[in-house]
Amino acid sequence: MTPFFGPLEHGRIPALQQTRVSAFLISAHGALTRQLGVAIPASLHHGWQVEMHSQYCREMEILSLLGRATSWIIDPTLGFQIWQWEVAWLPRPVAGAADRTQGTLIDLAAFGHALHTVIRPAALLPEGFPDEDPFALAMRRIEFESGRLMQAQILFLKGPQLAPVRDAVAAAVESRHSQVRELWQDMLHSMEIDTSGRHSLVPAYQARGQPAPVAAQPSVAIKQP
Amino acid sequence: MPWLECNSRRIHYELAGPPNGPACVLVNGLTQYVRLWHPFRDALVAKGFQVVSFDMLGQGQSDKPSLFIHQDDQVEVLGRLIEKLGDRPIFVAGISFGGVVALRYAIDHGDKIAGLVPMSSFAEIPAQLYMLGAALRSGLILGGTSFLQDLLFPMNFSSEWLDSMRHLIDLARHRGWLANDVYALQNLMESFLEFEPLTDQLSAIRLPTMILTGEYDFLTPRPLQESLRAHIPDSALVIIPRAYHAFTLEKPALTAYLVTHFAEDVMAGRWRGKGSIWVAPENVGGELTPFPEGFDHMRAIPVQTQAPELAPQRKATAS
Repeated sequence: MTPFFGPLEHGRIPALQQTRVSAFLISAHGALTRQLGVAIPASLHHGWQVEMHSQYCREMEILSLLGRATSWIIDPTLGFQIWQWEVAWLPRPVAGAADRTQGTLIDLAAFGHALHTVIRPAALLPEGFPDEDPFALAMRRIEFESGRLMQAQILFLKGPQLAPVRDAVAAAVESRHSQVRELWQDMLHSMEIDTSGRHSLVPAYQARGQPAPVAAQPSVAIKQP
Repeated sequence: MPWLECNSRRIHYELAGPPNGPACVLVNGLTQYVRLWHPFRDALVAKGFQVVSFDMLGQGQSDKPSLFIHQDDQVEVLGRLIEKLGDRPIFVAGISFGGVVALRYAIDHGDKIAGLVPMSSFAEIPAQLYMLGAALRSGLILGGTSFLQDLLFPMNFSSEWLDSMRHLIDLARHRGWLANDVYALQNLMESFLEFEPLTDQLSAIRLPTMILTGEYDFLTPRPLQESLRAHIPDSALVIIPRAYHAFTLEKPALTAYLVTHFAEDVMAGRWRGKGSIWVAPENVGGELTPFPEGFDHMRAIPVQTQAPELAPQRKATAS
């Protein structure tokens, strides 16, 4: 098991790994996009609906980017996995909410929160991996955008309007987190990737006196990672 | 790898050193994780301490609650770890955010530990710190963990140290980015939104307390440490020369030396805090010296009764 993509093939992320990760992300972000599309009214009346519309557009960008930046290959295992993922993403209105509409919105926000926080695709890139690789750049952009996209969900889920049902909200978010994390890790394990090892890496502070390791390339379009 | 269960949450911790010696529990700063303590921890272990370090809720490998993290929960985790250490001298050292957790623990459970070391810490959030914290939170939200680290590097370290680490800064940023999650850091920061000053409760800390502060720390500057000194009866303030906020990383050996010096004094019954003020040595093995009488330790400028003579150029300008 390794915490990163690899071993590299001619300096690139193996196509199977690209395919499987992108298929997972397209499945999850696609489901979120569809659910947002249904939830956004034709005419916007509240500020949070504007945020939701913005999210919808950003999710579309992520889907388009993944489709074009990935080196796809045929993966016979994907059929079953995609079915499994799609079932998991189905809406699950939260019990304990004021009404079914609120319960559905909480679930949608919880799913989005889990997707944007648990999944860290750029953290799978080997250290020092070149910025100009389109797949790597797509992973970085998706993770960077996720940090911003999650803010709308945080505002909604932590907001005063849900304070009366805070326990139900917290339970729903934890449940979506567990679900997304489990499926994401299962998919990674199928490629011998285990992200738990990332915390065991020697901090750079303790590498003084040793030869400089390959440093991360200076970032171009996005400041991080 | 040891884990602690606390209220259905899993806490990752590490134990190092002899199991029968005095113990020292280290409490992380905001973006810290267990691995970062290793040089500091090893220096304490070499002095015969058993050292416990742990990732707080929301950090490193410990569970990361998705929406809310309460400081009370962090204090409870610290308490559970201290309970596991049994009956022996136990010292608690926390830096910055971790210092707040350590202070809160000591206010309620000071009888369970032998000594306390708040480092670069605070008991209240004045306007400067509040606005800095808010700006750091905005930086995290808008620019992610890497941008937060970009802001923290120059706040935490000296130019000399940053220069010497220049070839490793990208790697340091990357490793810190790998270990931290945006939402978890945000939750940790937002656990201060309902923070009530601890100042009025500090007098309840009756145990020996060594307050460590960096000479040049502008993130949690001297007045915040002074407030701790003024309110904790058996405390002493120790100023580390040329240090900034994160001296446990920049000067791990010296900081560990100071902590062991303090612990040995406490265990030998030699410790006399009495609100005294000291200057730490520049290097391991040096002596602590009392802050010079006749000077105000709150000022960056040595305020004397007789004004120093102005340089010629300044004289001309002044005239």
